[in-house]
Amino acid sequence: MNRAVPEWASGVCAGAHAAGILDVAYVPDNPLSHVLGEFERNYADVRLVLATREEEAFGIAAGLCLGGKRPAVMLQSSGLGNSINALTTLVIPYRIPMLIVVSMRGDEGEWNAAQTPMGEAVRPILDAIRIPHASVTDGTSAKRLVAEAAGFSFASGMPRAILLPRRLTTS
Amino acid sequence: MTRLEATQAIVNACGDAAIVASLGHPAYDLFAAGDRPRNFYTWGSMGLASSIGLGIALARPAIHVIVLDGDGSLLMNLGSLATIGLLQPKNLTVVVMDNELYATTGGQPTPTATGADLAAAARAMRIEDATIVRTEDELIGRLRGTRPQFVVAKVAESPPTAKPPLDYVGIKQRFMAALG
Repeated sequence: MNRAVPEWASGVCAGAHAAGILDVAYVPDNPLSHVLGEFERNYADVRLVLATREEEAFGIAAGLCLGGKRPAVMLQSSGLGNSINALTTLVIPYRIPMLIVVSMRGDEGEWNAAQTPMGEAVRPILDAIRIPHASVTDGTSAKRLVAEAAGFSFASGMPRAILLPRRLTTS
Repeated sequence: MTRLEATQAIVNACGDAAIVASLGHPAYDLFAAGDRPRNFYTWGSMGLASSIGLGIALARPAIHVIVLDGDGSLLMNLGSLATIGLLQPKNLTVVVMDNELYATTGGQPTPTATGADLAAAARAMRIEDATIVRTEDELIGRLRGTRPQFVVAKVAESPPTAKPPLDYVGIKQRFMAALG
């Protein structure tokens, strides 16, 4: 299947790569498949590490950072719920920087009501655990927002999140 | 062999390996057996020691990484075995200090007490070099191979004698500086 890469997806890849991210731990998600595919096709120096669960991806990313890398974790918002302990007892207290890219479910345009409670909770949860976050609302700004978030993360020694709303990823 | 004796044997034999310890008793024993800059002590994130070790092993293929996990901890993150089996990092050794107890939380039995076989689980996830050991010599002999190593060390519980400092950022910075 040959799908055109959406501008937002190529922007996420370009922004992450520009910030020095060469390692991405992820759990698959439909919109993220555009990002992962773009990395595979056009970024030979980027290593994609498949995890079985989002919490595990954060553990792997923490280890990558301890080993001197600049990691990213990419996940669906539902998986943020699986990740809170990893974030609050490892990533945050040890000050381990990483870019977190969250593909949203349960926000505007969601068809499955089982996804909406977590979708509506994503921003309050990130605020509660003090992880700064920004949303990509159009393809043209994706690269800049991602590069800025990753750059701030590695400069400050703390994680930062980029949210990809369904309005963006399903348009 | 007690967990502390097993930990001491690993520290004595591991050279300049990086060691990641699961929270609670495994980390306390690592600190007691020999505090060293290449030790990374977790104080939370139960279950993730093998994932952290995997990340370090991927980032630094020239460094041998040893994970000191617990049976209860690994049972929280069995998917990690599938990921290690998928990626086959040659420089990663996962040692499960299997006392068949949640010792840190008061000694409740884990499923390994009634026969759950973590080494068989690892083999089923394509970590071929997965064994159960009961002596320090067997344990040391399994620390390094040409593929990822998975060692279930059947250990007796021993009361911890020391704890690492609650200096999370200091632990991290010292560890990263030691890896260079």
